[in-house]
Amino acid sequence: MTTAPTPVRRASSDARATVLRVGGYSIRLRHRVLAAVLGSLAALIALAMWSAATGSTSLGLERVWYALIGQGPKGDEFILWELRLPRLATGLAVGACMGLSGALFQTLTRNPLGSPDLLGLTQGATTGALVSIIVTGSSLQVTTALAAVGSLATGLLIWSLTRGGDPSGYRLVLVGIGISAILAGVNGYLLTRTTIIDAFRAVYWLTGDLSGRDFGQARTVAIVLAAGIVVIALLSRGLDSLRLGEAAATGLGVRVGATRVAALVTASVLTAAAVAVAGPLAFVALAAPHIAARLTGSSRSFLCSALVGALIVTAADMIAVAGVGGHQLPTGVVTGVVGGAYLIWLLIAHRKKGVLS
Amino acid sequence: MTASPLAARQATLGYGRTVISEDLTVEIPEGEFTVIMGPNACGKSTLLKALARMLKPSIGSVLLDGKDIHSQPTRAVARRLGLLPQSPIAPDGITVADLVARGRYPHQGILRQWSADDERVVAEAMRATDIADLSGRGVDELSGGQRQRVWIAMVLAQQTPLLLLDEPTTFLDITHQIEVLDLCAKLHREGRTLVAVLHDLNQAARYATHLIAMRDGAVVAEGAPADIVTAETVEQVFDLPCRIIDDPESGTPLVIPSARARDRV
Repeated sequence: MTTAPTPVRRASSDARATVLRVGGYSIRLRHRVLAAVLGSLAALIALAMWSAATGSTSLGLERVWYALIGQGPKGDEFILWELRLPRLATGLAVGACMGLSGALFQTLTRNPLGSPDLLGLTQGATTGALVSIIVTGSSLQVTTALAAVGSLATGLLIWSLTRGGDPSGYRLVLVGIGISAILAGVNGYLLTRTTIIDAFRAVYWLTGDLSGRDFGQARTVAIVLAAGIVVIALLSRGLDSLRLGEAAATGLGVRVGATRVAALVTASVLTAAAVAVAGPLAFVALAAPHIAARLTGSSRSFLCSALVGALIVTAADMIAVAGVGGHQLPTGVVTGVVGGAYLIWLLIAHRKKGVLS
Repeated sequence: MTASPLAARQATLGYGRTVISEDLTVEIPEGEFTVIMGPNACGKSTLLKALARMLKPSIGSVLLDGKDIHSQPTRAVARRLGLLPQSPIAPDGITVADLVARGRYPHQGILRQWSADDERVVAEAMRATDIADLSGRGVDELSGGQRQRVWIAMVLAQQTPLLLLDEPTTFLDITHQIEVLDLCAKLHREGRTLVAVLHDLNQAARYATHLIAMRDGAVVAEGAPADIVTAETVEQVFDLPCRIIDDPESGTPLVIPSARARDRV
């Protein structure tokens, strides 16, 4: 019986907010959302520093600092600037993109499983990557470009097939699952039409990995991420109202159709950039919004989902680098295992209806 | 000609290729509590959806203040016309005050998130619907009747002179149905124009000041309940033989289905 009042307290603590008003302008900061965002940001900074300091050669924070400001030994600077920071930056940007696209897809489909993986965007990226690896046997750059094209084309296909009809999330999910199934077939076929060496490269790409990524790739993803954040900031109030249902959102004056299309395009572009560079890192887009929602309570924060996505990828990549039995792992193996396990733990620990909605 | 703030003009309404109403012309009179009623699948909810701009007529138009509703910015429409849909979704764990505050959307912007006006209007809406005491509670802990009042408060916070309610009493028990209808009547007395879709004929006759009776997508009768709720009209609209007596409580028409009706089964 002692647990009975908990929901009341949780609900009212969610509502606490500070309002800043200047002239006609006002900003409302919800304490719980603010705490969640600042908390995950602090955790991310700490983890990033730890990640830069550790690895096969342990540098320690002091050596990292001197290498960072250009006063360290050449060896340290090489490790930091050539090996660790590009990989770290790519992981941060990729994770944030995936966290955002997952949050967008969950809002659009009104489905806790709505993610680029479920809707076929990841499969589309895979098709693009497989074509480049198998048909053209080409470089990482071409693979990256074709993966982005594949993912974007899938997003476009979903949009054109769901356009005009009933705008509910169900239609989006069903069309996405259909496309996903078709592309999985295509991908399976492509894999059977190749040499064992190309197939091995392809499967490695399919797992998702961050090793050998450079600042150029990090910059590309970061630019897409920045653009995505701006668009989402403009859309977020409308998307928040869409959580009340299409009808209520229309009644409140949300341009439902336009908002949904813009969100779908944004989510597709974010997914394309992330998957093209890092491969389909399993579970990040699905788990990040759920974990962020645990932190922010009844309010949703896209920013928090982005930070959690970056946290998951950075943490997973550190584990991947540490590896098992002296062998490094592809990052995607760790995100799959850790993300999946965490999600199941979340479900068991908070056995309650609606925890994942 | 348009004294009416909201009207459908020769509208053809439907979903995809299914046509529900053809050449439908309806005027919502200003300052009245209009109830749209009729048997299942008569097109009453479709008409309400069209009036609320959720459904665009394939032919004809819906006019808000004399102008095509679809040619007006939807946020501007939302400051004139509020909508309580049939089954809105309360986000998990949201508090009463937060949900009511959602009604301020058409008055807000990215840098105008919570003005002093917003705060005052939301508090007023909660007082008007008698839920001020519940403001810190989670919406999912409330009873069906309380929850419906919260949704009505959200629509009130929109501060619109026109309110559309799609079956606001469905799924409520009788006590809460009356509670919601009494609230609607109060909002009407305060000067708002209300349009509601209702199932219960007797409740419609008691609360409406203007009735629109529909069947097969067309308006069969329209007017004050005392004028149009007759045995003939009821039979015509619902295929239900009945007698009409005076409601002993309100003096409005009360429909008593005739005992003979059972013989037909």
